[in-house]
Amino acid sequence: MNIQFKKGALELCVLALLYKQDRYGYEIVQKISDQIVISEGSVYPLLRRLKKEGYLTTYLQESKEGPSRKYYRLTDQGRDHLHVLNEEWKQFSEGVNQLIKEGDFNE
Amino acid sequence: MNKEQFLTSLEKGLKKLPHEEREDIMHDFEEHFFNGSADGKTEEQISESLGSPKQIAKELVATSHIEKMEATASTANIFRAVWAVVGLGFFNFIIVFGPFAALLGFILAGWITGVSFVASPLLILVTLIVNLGTFEFFDMFFSIMLCGIGLFIAMGMLYVTKVLTTLFVRYLKYNVSLVKGGLKHD
Repeated sequence: MNIQFKKGALELCVLALLYKQDRYGYEIVQKISDQIVISEGSVYPLLRRLKKEGYLTTYLQESKEGPSRKYYRLTDQGRDHLHVLNEEWKQFSEGVNQLIKEGDFNE
Repeated sequence: MNKEQFLTSLEKGLKKLPHEEREDIMHDFEEHFFNGSADGKTEEQISESLGSPKQIAKELVATSHIEKMEATASTANIFRAVWAVVGLGFFNFIIVFGPFAALLGFILAGWITGVSFVASPLLILVTLIVNLGTFEFFDMFFSIMLCGIGLFIAMGMLYVTKVLTTLFVRYLKYNVSLVKGGLKHD
């Protein structure tokens, strides 16, 4: 898929994943790459940016084995942002779907 | 690429970041490698799916520069941020460098006009000293008028520069959110 499309969508995916529960980095990356082909390393710059913009906070939690895990949590501001992005995405994808349907080549 | 090669290359790319931030990033990736191994993947598989450590470092550095530029929009900070964003790839080069060069040209031209207008009475003084006896009242009044206009231009430019800088900072930020968060660099 086109790079530009995916980049915008990636932010929405990350926020959506954190809506119901806090997750650690590896978990977020795996969840996304199960569905979409991405270069996984770029999720980390995105996570840092979202944190700097106040949409996420982080905390460390000891894990049974290995180094402590950094968990990401959605802030209230992040929740609002998620709703905005979600609306935008809905309009965008409905528009694209409509155009594809009108193209009528899928029969 | 194994874990060590990946982390070394990443750390090298992050040299310009503050120590604390670099440590934090390195910790994230070490954690990632640990979890990946626990998942049964080899170091090579993990770094393969992470992508190029150089590109990841570039993205992190660009974000950090933009952040600094937002805190203090000094000329040096802006140049650093533009440079970092331009370095991300050809696409960024086109959509960042063009507008930046145009803005810079406009601002420079405005300031040069303003400052040289303000300085024009000095020119009269210089001609007065160099060629004694060629003093013309017209020249003097005209240069004083130019000086006044120049002051207005300079004041205007102060405002324009501030507004354009803010807008450009916003544009750069938007640009990074659009082009980065990057995917397979194909």
